[in-house]
Amino acid sequence: MNPLSALRALAHPALRAEAMQPVTEKAAPKAIPFSELEKLSPGILPMPIDSNRVNAAAATGFEKAATDLVSQVAAKQAAAGESVSQLLGGQNVSLHQTMIATEEASISFQLMVEVRNKLLEAYQELMRMQV
Amino acid sequence: MAQPLLNKPSDITAMIEGLFNQTNYVAAKKMLDVTAMRHEAIASNLAHLETPNYKRLDVAPNFATELQQAVAARSLDQIQSVSPRLAIDTTAVASRKDGNTVQLESELLKLNKNFMEHQLETQLITGTMLKLRLAITGRS
Amino acid sequence: MINILNGIDSTSSALNAERIRMEVVSQNIANVNSTRGPDGKLKPYQRQQVVFETALKDQLKGAGLPGSEASTVRVARIESARRQPRMVYMPGHADADANGMVAMPNINIHEEMVDLMSASRAYEANLNVVKTARGMALQTLAIGKR
Repeated sequence: MNPLSALRALAHPALRAEAMQPVTEKAAPKAIPFSELEKLSPGILPMPIDSNRVNAAAATGFEKAATDLVSQVAAKQAAAGESVSQLLGGQNVSLHQTMIATEEASISFQLMVEVRNKLLEAYQELMRMQV
Repeated sequence: MAQPLLNKPSDITAMIEGLFNQTNYVAAKKMLDVTAMRHEAIASNLAHLETPNYKRLDVAPNFATELQQAVAARSLDQIQSVSPRLAIDTTAVASRKDGNTVQLESELLKLNKNFMEHQLETQLITGTMLKLRLAITGRS
Repeated sequence: MINILNGIDSTSSALNAERIRMEVVSQNIANVNSTRGPDGKLKPYQRQQVVFETALKDQLKGAGLPGSEASTVRVARIESARRQPRMVYMPGHADADANGMVAMPNINIHEEMVDLMSASRAYEANLNVVKTARGMALQTLAIGKR
């Protein structure tokens, strides 16, 4: 996080240090709404963090990608399992559909495992770097 | 496999599907369904070799043209939407007095041809799968 | 029943039906000279023949499977042909009537042999179908393996 972002973060109420709490109600100055402060001196205060925007930025990033991958692989595995149990139950699924479903699930799973391995390698490489 | 680079979050959602979205692979899966279906038809035909007035079954002829168009259009949805079904073969003639349109030699030939097609489809599918595994793990 | 072999219902029904037909034909051939019935009465043997019919496959089980329009074959009934007995002049025969004529079964050996051959041919064709189905199933099981 660069210094400027750190300053912006300080303005977010959730990130203020807990040590501020013991101040009593009477002693604490009355909170001035941001809009009034802005009217007094426009542009002097950093913009309050819009929490929705912060969360959205994280969500479109890597976290979403990883969870999507895992859920898709899980879906493929579930479909394959379903196909096998239907085949064993003698219901309306043919052998080749089941074979193909299980193979595709296996390939997807292998992809996920390899991605995980590469991430782990990258992380370990990073940790090995001398500060 | 022309996959765009991952520059949008939605690209990740297409990752698993993208593995199996090649036109040839999807078409081969569809053809495999058809060979299984056609075998059922041929089995029924040969079972009724001696049944009076039996009309031979086969995969409906519109399937071949539809699949060809879908593959030429390289459209996955179109390929998936082609649904084969069995129908009475209207081009078969009754060579016997009892109206039975099954001819032993041609039926046996179709049986063998279907078997070879089935083998081709399974080879194509297996080939694609092994290539994917090689790409993913770097080893076969 | 696990659906591994395609069309196995049709094929097994056909093998059964053709086998029954062959049994009936051999029974006809065995009785080519039978002038009396099983009860001992003077009634020449009547040729038996099978009637095949189409039976729709078990729709509940096969619903949605590829090719559920295909059907199985079954022997509807084994009926006696209504033919006039052959009158043969054999005066020394135990069952000869006043004129020395014996009522022999109207069974033509050549006809029976042709029936036997066509039943046998159909049986072999269906065996071929089973073999092919097995080959297809084995190939399917090998999908994705080196």
